[in-house]
Amino acid sequence: MSAGIVESRIRSWAEKRRLPKAHLGRWLALAHEDRVALLETAERLRLRTGQFVTALELLDEIALRDRESIAGVLARNEIRRILEGTGSAPGRAQSLVEQLRVACFPRLKRTIDRLRTEIAALALPPGIRVVLPVDLSSDELRIEIRASGGAELERLIGAIDRHAAGLRRIAEMLGGADEV
Amino acid sequence: MKFELDAVLIEERCRSSALAMSVVSAVAPEVEVRYVPDGREAARPLVGVRDPFGAGKRRMVVMERRAPFLMGCPAGSSEFACCGYLVLLIASNCPMDCSYCFLQEYIADNPGLQVYANYAAAFDELDRLGRSAPGRSFRVGTGELADSLAFDTLTGISRDLVEYFARRENLLLELKTKTDEIGNLLTADPRGRTLVSWTLSPTRVYESSEHRTASPASRIEAARRVLEAGYKVGFHLDPMIAYPEADHDYGELIDNLFDVVPPQRISFVSMGGLRMTPALRALARRRFPDDPMLAAGEEVLGRDGRMRSFTPLRMRLFASIRARIQRRAPEILLYLCMESASAYERVFGTMPATPAALGTRLAGS
Repeated sequence: MSAGIVESRIRSWAEKRRLPKAHLGRWLALAHEDRVALLETAERLRLRTGQFVTALELLDEIALRDRESIAGVLARNEIRRILEGTGSAPGRAQSLVEQLRVACFPRLKRTIDRLRTEIAALALPPGIRVVLPVDLSSDELRIEIRASGGAELERLIGAIDRHAAGLRRIAEMLGGADEV
Repeated sequence: MKFELDAVLIEERCRSSALAMSVVSAVAPEVEVRYVPDGREAARPLVGVRDPFGAGKRRMVVMERRAPFLMGCPAGSSEFACCGYLVLLIASNCPMDCSYCFLQEYIADNPGLQVYANYAAAFDELDRLGRSAPGRSFRVGTGELADSLAFDTLTGISRDLVEYFARRENLLLELKTKTDEIGNLLTADPRGRTLVSWTLSPTRVYESSEHRTASPASRIEAARRVLEAGYKVGFHLDPMIAYPEADHDYGELIDNLFDVVPPQRISFVSMGGLRMTPALRALARRRFPDDPMLAAGEEVLGRDGRMRSFTPLRMRLFASIRARIQRRAPEILLYLCMESASAYERVFGTMPATPAALGTRLAGS
């Protein structure tokens, strides 16, 4: 595909999706093969504007950190499987963003998975929710209780008390007391 | 190390100052020297250049400071467990160019490399500070908005500062640097009242991100030499970048440091994680598009509006390096920079001292 055709298709996609100028500028500033790979991804998965912006941010981070081109990142097996998959375009678009996020934050993903496994293993009763900080950006663990009536509240508080050791372990993991 | 300048601009009212004369006599002959009516204007970003911040680093402005010289550390906040550090502003900006440097955002509107010709006026402020709280000690540093020693061969300011502090019992001067410009220091007698500190990073970070700085090995060797000359020394592992090999690399750095500088003679080691506002991160990425360290630590946005490595990763790195340091130097004074009291407790197992108490300890260390 010639550079002129690519640019015209990018501009047309951006106009249709009302992509802000700054993001269009970043897209056009990429190397030719990266522009093309991104265009093909955006068209094939019918990315929404927000999804495109997020994907571009994540691709940019991954490419810089791993010293790889954006086209190279999009050609990775786990990404290609999504691009060439058979599901609906919106479903695959969502999977793409999720997969890029995993590639961008592999250790964060592993840590969150481990914490969620620990929380699930506690088998807390419904009405108690253990909330992790967004992106583990702090070490604060939030425990929510939703109860109707004094008896239920007392029962849930009792459950928290019985699981204190497990909850404490999760709080310690948030502070780095576990392999990352 | 010698840093290149394109021009030296001297404010008219400072034409006959000792500092201006020292710079003019020492600057390389090919560097343009000009006199300007107002240094503040000369320090503003150049128009029409691709990288105004970078251009500012090559333009020294010798000028008068119109505001107080002494201020609290700009990083200080009630959100953090702070160290009571005070900043003495005798210069602004730095000829080195670290990709992660907060000055890219903090002084974006006046990036000229300012050096204040009336710095001796700071001594009155310091005298007042020293008298303000008898029994308390203060650590005062010149390395927050500038590198303390980068242009010392031109300015010779360090000698005046060292001599002033040598006569003050409750004030400790901290000269913070990433250079090995210690020539002037070796000719002065600090009498235990000046501490020279180096920011240290593993070689991998130095090569990727710390442009025009001295190598980690040169910094460590310079520390050994000033220690022998009667100075105290301290080290800042800051910013620590939590890239996948960080634990190994920072551990190795500690070993290299302690092999050259006896740990029992080190006054303190501070640790701080890489933190950047999203705006700074965008600026840094624009100026250093090929530096993988700017995206290596899985940074996420925190409540204070800064991006840091996600908490368990960061805390684990701090704790690991704390343990590594304490294995060889159990008594060494360690502290965290720009982290909360709960982070401090997780890393050290105790609550932090108040800024005043920690400040006094560091000043007496």
